[in-house]
Amino acid sequence: MQPTIRRILFIVILAAGLAWIGLSAGGTQTVTAAPQEGFLAPDFTLQSITGETYTLSDLRGQAVVINLWATWCPPCRAEMPALQKMYEEYKDQGLVILAVNSTVQDTASAVAPFAAEHSLTFPILLDDTGLVTNAYQVRSLPSSYFIDRKGIVRQVIIGGPMAEALLRTRIEDILR
Amino acid sequence: MIELFRSLFTPPRHMILLVAAAWLGMTLSEKRATRHNVSIEALNNLTFYGLIAFILGGRLFFAFGHIDAFLKSPLSLFALNPDLFDALGGVVAAILTMLIYGQRQKLDLWNTFDALTPLLSVLMVGLGLSHLAAGTAFGQPTDLPWAINLWNADRHPTQIYETLAALLTFGLVWTLKPNPRSGLLFLTFTALTAGWTIFLAAFRADSTLLLGKFHAEQVIAWAVLAMSLGLYEWRIQIIEKEINL
Repeated sequence: MQPTIRRILFIVILAAGLAWIGLSAGGTQTVTAAPQEGFLAPDFTLQSITGETYTLSDLRGQAVVINLWATWCPPCRAEMPALQKMYEEYKDQGLVILAVNSTVQDTASAVAPFAAEHSLTFPILLDDTGLVTNAYQVRSLPSSYFIDRKGIVRQVIIGGPMAEALLRTRIEDILR
Repeated sequence: MIELFRSLFTPPRHMILLVAAAWLGMTLSEKRATRHNVSIEALNNLTFYGLIAFILGGRLFFAFGHIDAFLKSPLSLFALNPDLFDALGGVVAAILTMLIYGQRQKLDLWNTFDALTPLLSVLMVGLGLSHLAAGTAFGQPTDLPWAINLWNADRHPTQIYETLAALLTFGLVWTLKPNPRSGLLFLTFTALTAGWTIFLAAFRADSTLLLGKFHAEQVIAWAVLAMSLGLYEWRIQIIEKEINL
């Protein structure tokens, strides 16, 4: 190719790129509910093992960690002490941890003894119909969702156990 | 089909796709290494050190960026969580390490870039597939017949667009006739990749917006495209001068 033609072609390509960037500029997404970063966290209402009712949208204004788990899942069990430690450290700053037991794939009677054994003081919710497990499209346990004070999912962590530093950095992000 | 694929490679298993792409890409790069006057051994060492630097650098950059969290629980530095990772830091560490190794081994920069092009182009295919598996880099809502349902909406299958574009790019760089002018293969790859990124990022719904409206991926890709085309022109002039001498 002739050098002049090549240079003109390069300039045309760059100009077309700029034009396309300009044409496609604008908002990217509306805030709808989905279990993914940048979306509104899907709302739910569940009962805890102590009989209290929790609705996610009622917790707007607080930073929320939703941890979906099961008693038979080793990484879920392994990360509970770190979650408890973080809860004690940050609850006064507005952190709420909702440990949603995926009861639809667990044994309900095993949940309370597990919580007692690990001295867990944050709310343990029972998802016995699979409502949250389905709404959050859970494919793997544990799955954790870090939700900011506006109710937006800021981070999703699938798998575990989560290290303390990981929990701390994500919690500090949603507390801001 | 897509649901089955996403179930099979649901995070963190989606990283298997990247590892498989790296392995396949490296195998292909090795096959073509001698064509670019780079020994297979040197290429292997270069990528091995680069990979180690990427892993260590990514973790260390993350730790330095969140030093308070790691001072409170130093053992987290050795945790297996892939989320404790700064990908950009990893890339910087890998590039620096590879540059230092290449300089010490007196590897020609442009020949080495050409030799690494198959690896990079297959990695881009793996990246598209891993995006599809993880549901990241998702598209804007659309009612087009080929839309996929993701995050509670029918969306542009941007991850599939991305994978197809990367496959086409790989096909092109793999089948291009050997060019004695070093660097042009690599620059063709970067220009093409930047070009389709500018085009496809317009359909993404997860972009960070610069100045409240410009997709960050497009702006970065345009800079890469400009640099690639500029370097392409510069390489041709340098090579022609060398030939004339």
